[in-house]
Amino acid sequence: MKEYATFLGCIIPNRYPGIEATSTSILKYFDIELLPINGASCCPAPGVFSCFHLESWLAIAARNIAIGEETGQDIVTMCNGCYGSLAEANHLLNGNKELKDKINEILSKVGCEFKGNSKIKHMIEVFSEDIGVKKIQESMKNTLDGIKVCTHYGCHFLKPSEIKKHGSSERPRFLDDIVRATGAESIDYKDKTMCCGFGGGVRAKDIDVTLDFTREKLKNIILAGGDCIVDQCASCHLEFDRGQAEIKKIYGEEFRLPVLYFTQLIGLGLGMEQKKLGLEFQNIPAQSLLDKINGGRK
Amino acid sequence: MTNIGVYICHCGTNIAGVVDVEGLTQKVAKLKDVSLAKDYKYMCSEPGQDLIREDIKNRNLDRVVVAACSPRMHENTYKKVLASAGLNPFLLEIANIREQASWVHLDKEKTTDKALDLIKMAVAKVRMDEPLTSLSANVIQRVLVIGAGIAGIQTSLDIANIGFDVVLVEKEQSIGGRMSQLGKTFPTLDCSACILTPKMVEVSLNPRIKLFTYSEVEEISGFIGNFKAKIRKKSRGLDESLCTGCGLCQEKCPTKVPSEYDEKMGKRKAIYTLFPQAVPNIPVIDRASCLYITKGKCGVCKKVCPAGAIDYERTDEFIEEEIGAVVVATGFDPFDPVSKEEYGFGIYRNVITGLQLERLLHAAGPTKGEVVRPSDGAIPKRIAFVQCVGSRDEHANKYCSRVCCMYAIKNALLIKEHHPESEIFIYYIDIRAFGKGYEEFYKRAQENGIKFMRGRVAEIFEEQKSRNPVIRADDTLLGMVTENELDMVVLSVGMIPRSDSSKIQKMLGLAASPDGFFMEAHAKLRPVDTLVDGVFLAGTAQGPKDIPDTVAQAKGAASGALEVISHKTLQLSPLISEVDERLCRGCGDCKDVCEYGAIEIVTLDTHKVARINPAICKGCGACAVACCNGSIKLRNYTDSITFAMLDATLGGAV
Amino acid sequence: MTEFSPRIVAFCCNWCSYVGADLAGTSRLKYPDNIRIMRVMCSGQVFPSYILKALELGADGVLVAGCHIGDCHYVSGNKKAQERVETLLRVMKTLGLDPRRVRLEWISASEGMKFASTVKEFVEEIKELGPNLLGVR
Repeated sequence: MKEYATFLGCIIPNRYPGIEATSTSILKYFDIELLPINGASCCPAPGVFSCFHLESWLAIAARNIAIGEETGQDIVTMCNGCYGSLAEANHLLNGNKELKDKINEILSKVGCEFKGNSKIKHMIEVFSEDIGVKKIQESMKNTLDGIKVCTHYGCHFLKPSEIKKHGSSERPRFLDDIVRATGAESIDYKDKTMCCGFGGGVRAKDIDVTLDFTREKLKNIILAGGDCIVDQCASCHLEFDRGQAEIKKIYGEEFRLPVLYFTQLIGLGLGMEQKKLGLEFQNIPAQSLLDKINGGRK
Repeated sequence: MTNIGVYICHCGTNIAGVVDVEGLTQKVAKLKDVSLAKDYKYMCSEPGQDLIREDIKNRNLDRVVVAACSPRMHENTYKKVLASAGLNPFLLEIANIREQASWVHLDKEKTTDKALDLIKMAVAKVRMDEPLTSLSANVIQRVLVIGAGIAGIQTSLDIANIGFDVVLVEKEQSIGGRMSQLGKTFPTLDCSACILTPKMVEVSLNPRIKLFTYSEVEEISGFIGNFKAKIRKKSRGLDESLCTGCGLCQEKCPTKVPSEYDEKMGKRKAIYTLFPQAVPNIPVIDRASCLYITKGKCGVCKKVCPAGAIDYERTDEFIEEEIGAVVVATGFDPFDPVSKEEYGFGIYRNVITGLQLERLLHAAGPTKGEVVRPSDGAIPKRIAFVQCVGSRDEHANKYCSRVCCMYAIKNALLIKEHHPESEIFIYYIDIRAFGKGYEEFYKRAQENGIKFMRGRVAEIFEEQKSRNPVIRADDTLLGMVTENELDMVVLSVGMIPRSDSSKIQKMLGLAASPDGFFMEAHAKLRPVDTLVDGVFLAGTAQGPKDIPDTVAQAKGAASGALEVISHKTLQLSPLISEVDERLCRGCGDCKDVCEYGAIEIVTLDTHKVARINPAICKGCGACAVACCNGSIKLRNYTDSITFAMLDATLGGAV
Repeated sequence: MTEFSPRIVAFCCNWCSYVGADLAGTSRLKYPDNIRIMRVMCSGQVFPSYILKALELGADGVLVAGCHIGDCHYVSGNKKAQERVETLLRVMKTLGLDPRRVRLEWISASEGMKFASTVKEFVEEIKELGPNLLGVR
């Protein structure tokens, strides 16, 4: 059985426990065990923190990696933000001995040491590489035939492409491939690789700008005829889900577009009990989508 | 007995103003082995030179030191003086007491002391210098030109017209190169074929040019004046001596595949010539798509050929040619924009490259000169050009490709002339209209209503129904992000080194610049030479350039090659390394560090030794340092000479 | 007591650094007269033993100057020089020599200014270090 140390970050345990619950039980189905990282803190958020004080950001990220490393396994995250922080910190520290020594000196105060032995992985890699599209496709019990999905990749998993090296950063395909494996249709829409609006501390600083981004994306998805949005990042997930409620409140515009983390979509395909997907904890009800799936089955 | 004469120059007041020349002369006269020391106002003047010449003859001087300006100024002048007086010119040393003393220091006493030191060092060296004789080698008076685009054609014609033989090798089945693909040329709008084909015909008719088409140079050995090239003449699948070029085979061949020459904008047959004016006008069978070769069926071309030339089984031939100099004119490849994913080339059908547009605009191209949209064949009315695709880009190539601004403007004008109602946009970072008549041409485009949009294009996406590409760009003059829906977008792709350039580079031992193009010997003063003696560069193989610059460089390369091969023999510098074969153990460490392949390990009766080819050795001394038992020395730069010079300045010994 | 005036030997390659020194001259830049230039064909022609010999004979500093990396007239002689000098610097301490007495610089034919400033700096540094004791006779 393959094992991963799981870095949950902040958003998943606090707002979207469904992402963790679904991912954990699906991985178990595929014989992969997720181990907890005890005492993990905020990742901390990549762009914002590192811009203010690189060393503080590195030290906190390095501590999270260090306690994850103690499991002896690679570390997996479910949020692009967490992935960005941990992967970039890992890259910087492993490539610069002087910096690594300096950070380790800071970590020694809390009895920690960053070794840099574990790989930082994203949940999407576990599904597309460890499990593979073919196996996902073969395991599907419910057909999601006829469901039109708009995928959203988010930024920090792909960029900076020099560090992340996940192939095409302008026209990625792996998430679409997974969507297609569930039987759903992945449809193209305008500005697919555009930011959700959450990133760079914009959400905290200027909600209008954030919602402008989110609205633009949602509009493009509706125009393309999408039934739902499927993402791979807890932050983007929050943005699309909570953002819709805020847009309604501030601008009076209502999109009612269900937002699914990609494991939640796979869960639907695997025929998981709907309440185990945690969709009822979300702002935007997924009922329209569920009806379409159920209707399709009839 | 050594008789050294030391001559100290005043250089007017340049030296004498700071150095006490008279006092210095007296001190120098007392140095060991110095039989005379003289000072003179201008040593480089005729009377100054005579002074040395007379003393060599009358006072039996056997070595000379001149204390004057930098050896880079007059070393050769004084070498000639020694030679004319019957003394080996390598028994001369220059003490650089102007650039290294009088011009850089102020204190008279200290500067004079330093000048004395510099002279002592020169005396120490000249005392031990050995007389050296230049080697001479025979020159094979022919030139190999690799590549027969406009650069290779021009170089070959220049050399042949002066009266020397040329071996011209072209990889493609016809000569003409990239220029033959172009429709019209900027800024004069002459049709490319109209100015190129007469030169192509001239090449084919010139008895001094031995032309190999559909051939590749596979090996080159030897050195300046004496190269040997192995040429692979690829099989065309027919007997060239029988083919009359009637074209019947092409007409009847049932197989159609996308044409590489047309940049996939049109189709060709499995047996084909590149274009109607091809030189030679002999087709080639594409073995990958020929039905007879792949499936054993068809054979139509063989049936219809009135000359009976078709021979499917024909194999490659190998030819060896001897030449004295090589000109590399292998050209460029267009940048492949697939890697610029944000522009959607290869995904959106109405996004094409500049070279594809050239094929559409070419009167003999797949659309006979009409520009049409690939998706539906309609005539596009709104067209945008995207500049710097793959150029001036940290993610692709950092350099400017130098032709894209002008070819985009040219094609924009041509389209506007055909269809005045069309709307044309050029998205640019900077317009670089640097050549003769280029800025005026740019102005003309502006006056004709071509819209210049300043800002790099962020991305291109497609309106699904209409298949119209939409450009999103930051307009830096308006200071806003703009979107522009078009019928067709043309990516102005830059130039990159040819895909097989590293093979040529290795074969000839050339260096490459950071951009991957072949490196010239000196960026400013030796732009057509390479660091390999006898090998020259012409055209875009050296870096992006337009047609006039290519032709100019091609003529320069011809002159460089002629300089080598116009003499029957050539003199080689004797300042090279030599092996003491009594000490050498043949370990090969020297061979490993030699950048020029000048060293060979040869097996003698009982042991191995290193041998240095004096024609290839450049005298850098790397092998001497690498040799762990001191069996290699760089002539007149030996350890003992260096130690003697150090001793002269530091040890106080004279 | 007279001020310590260091004796410095510079090995300058024929194609770049020697020309750079000439340019300092033609530009009439002033620098200390402590330096004696030895012309070598290439910085890659400088044996480590040349440097050690100079120190043994009492030079207070040795400068090795060549073309910038990538610009070597002989393709890679300067890279070889760099490897050798760096290796030498590592063993100098073991030999009881101060590695600060040896300096490797890339000075192109157009860098007369850099040549002059390098000499100035180096002379100042050597003055701080004091005389090479091997040279005290």
